[in-house]
Amino acid sequence: MEFQFGEKEEKFRSEIREFVKDNFPPDYFGHLFDEEMDDDAWDFAMSISKKLSQKKWLTMSWPEEYGGTGASTWERVVFGEEAGYWGIPGISMGISGTAWVGPSLMLFGTKEQQDKYIPSIAAGEPDGVWCTAYSEPDSGSDLASLQTFAQKEGDEYVINGQKVWTSCAHRARWMWLACRTNAEVTKKHHGLSLFIVDMKSKGLTVNPIKNFVGGHVFNEIFFKDVRVPANNLVGEENKGWAQLMTALSFERGVAITFCGRARRIFDELLCYAKEIDIFYKPEIRQKFADLAMDLEAAKLLAYEAAWKDHMGMTVIHEPSRDKANFDILLEKLTRIGTNMLGAFSQLDPLNKDTRWTRVKGAVEHLYYYCIGMAIAAGTTFTQKTIVGQFGLQQPKSY
Amino acid sequence: MDFALEKDQELIKKSAREFFEKECPKDKVRELREDPKGYDPNMWKKMTSLGFLGLIIPEQYGGTEGEFIDLMLFMEEIGRNLVPSPFFSTVVLCGMPLMEFGTNEQKDTFLPEIAEKGKIWSFAQTEQLANHEPEDIKLKATLDNDEYTLNGTKLFVPYASAAKYFLVVARTSEGENPEEGITLFIVDSKTDGIETEIIPTTARDVRCEVKFTNVKVPKKNILGEPENGWKIVDYVFQNTAVLKAAEMSGGAQAAFSIVNKYAKERKQFDKPIGSLQAVQFKLVDLLTDIDELKYLVHEAAWNINAGSPSRKLNSMAKAKANAVYHDMCYHGIFLHGAIGWTEEMDIGLYHLRTRSLEFEGGGTDIHMEKIAKELESYQPDFLNLK
Repeated sequence: MEFQFGEKEEKFRSEIREFVKDNFPPDYFGHLFDEEMDDDAWDFAMSISKKLSQKKWLTMSWPEEYGGTGASTWERVVFGEEAGYWGIPGISMGISGTAWVGPSLMLFGTKEQQDKYIPSIAAGEPDGVWCTAYSEPDSGSDLASLQTFAQKEGDEYVINGQKVWTSCAHRARWMWLACRTNAEVTKKHHGLSLFIVDMKSKGLTVNPIKNFVGGHVFNEIFFKDVRVPANNLVGEENKGWAQLMTALSFERGVAITFCGRARRIFDELLCYAKEIDIFYKPEIRQKFADLAMDLEAAKLLAYEAAWKDHMGMTVIHEPSRDKANFDILLEKLTRIGTNMLGAFSQLDPLNKDTRWTRVKGAVEHLYYYCIGMAIAAGTTFTQKTIVGQFGLQQPKSY
Repeated sequence: MDFALEKDQELIKKSAREFFEKECPKDKVRELREDPKGYDPNMWKKMTSLGFLGLIIPEQYGGTEGEFIDLMLFMEEIGRNLVPSPFFSTVVLCGMPLMEFGTNEQKDTFLPEIAEKGKIWSFAQTEQLANHEPEDIKLKATLDNDEYTLNGTKLFVPYASAAKYFLVVARTSEGENPEEGITLFIVDSKTDGIETEIIPTTARDVRCEVKFTNVKVPKKNILGEPENGWKIVDYVFQNTAVLKAAEMSGGAQAAFSIVNKYAKERKQFDKPIGSLQAVQFKLVDLLTDIDELKYLVHEAAWNINAGSPSRKLNSMAKAKANAVYHDMCYHGIFLHGAIGWTEEMDIGLYHLRTRSLEFEGGGTDIHMEKIAKELESYQPDFLNLK
């Protein structure tokens, strides 16, 4: 039993902080999805991706041959925490080159695919920016029911259909696509495949969808006879579901970053409460104490999942547990935070840095975006079905 | 970071679990509920001979000199098996402050008696305010010729009816600050002027009213510094917070297993109720809470063990335990349906301990304020970067 990081990790933590000090404006705190929504923020994020790549941090957990350093789980945890805390942008190369496109290609991709796509991700180049197209209008939580179809014709696949809620499609150079390659199946999970699609393909249309606050994160994508070379199939045809589940488990391991982000907003709010001199009030103190406890507890669970991974134990339900946990915690944080900001909490998050903005605009921004986070990458409820089924061995509930 | 137990920690956990599963099944727990002693002297003897009472007492006093983490793991097992015994009051409430603040003579006299003979001790603090605050301490101790005279009434004194000694928190002077003027006394329970009466409580873990009428105590029986006894009470409180939280964590884990199993077996609408999302999601929430509690306790205990106790983490562990243990027991009964609300099911036995467990080591509001107090001096990282 040990509840502290080693010297190596703590040294790495200070290096990251030095990097933040050297490369970010004072008082910088990037918000969720900033890079998708704002052109200047996107350019800044890409410049940081490049610098992170030069530091060998962008894809540090990857093996050296793919441009990583084979960093330990704990170094990854420290990086994730710090990235969340300082709001370091550009860490994922779209949605999401670093988190699952690269690792999935290493597992399931051909040598040719690995050589073609992995280096640009690791280098932090615009060519290494990815979006991920899973959801469809009629396939949300029931992802396996997706209908977008890839028909094999000679050495090409011809894709027709529609994807929706595709984050970052308007920034991406490549698309990580899940679609159906066999409609004659008895079980909907069969007959799915993963493809790499060039965003410049003919017949591909990307339309922006604004979210309810007016931000542009989502897109809808139409495929009209989009031709993709057959060697863009990733892994085995019709065996896409298992590969997709592996990729999704990479995606759900976001808790550590949220841990850092939540702690930063907590810290900012605490300073604000002291500054406007309301921290002495019992109801305010009680809320901070409650949040501090929740944050500590959620962090320990995220560490536990990382520890299991580090020890080579099978990690199945833990990332889902932690995603659901942070979905709930972030909402609580914003509810308490907005209440503390009072009238200032009604500022429009589309206009950052006004003279009325308090706490770097982080609280009201998260107030709207935490809902999106709770839906993305498997809703809170979807995560709970995973924990129920695999963590508790209860019968399937849907 | 390492969430695993060391080999010897595993061993302590395993031997405690096996012992209590064998010696303290639920039938025994039910039987002891009807026994005014509230514990089984035979089990107590076995616990003593197995060295459980000397678990953290130094070897020179007949113990095995285990660490705080060992004790924490042991308390998890006590909670898991609902063991009714004067272990906590003897070892944690009295033995540990004796180790920390006792004179050599006191340690030589009393610690081997605990470790080797299983002499029972009880901690007498609570009075009418029943709130862990120094204002609650009204029992008067007046000095006359090297001898103190104690007058007053203590409440909810654990296993007082079985205790050989009391550690009594008394007021020796009144000042501006209620934390000052408090002194702790070691009092032989057979001393004239002590009257004990059992208070009927739901856990039946024997909480007593103890009246002290002109009870004479020699000056040498003061524990620690006179007038500065609140420091000892605080030390006991911090340990109690973490170790009661450990007991509650073990209890909540066991209660959870019972309910998770039941949800797989109980069928309605031709399917196990665990397949219903309302039930399954509640179980998932409880699991998350229980895991959080377990690691908050482990983290707090690890810090104490490492010699860097954190008041903030101690309070988090106990506040979380208060919330989770209640929630687990409430929903544990609820998810069973009507049968859960009867004497037949074990889950109710866990629920009957909520109030006792929550009070000892401090209720939630107390700990929330203690966490907030620590946040007053907290320095956020983003301010340190500049």
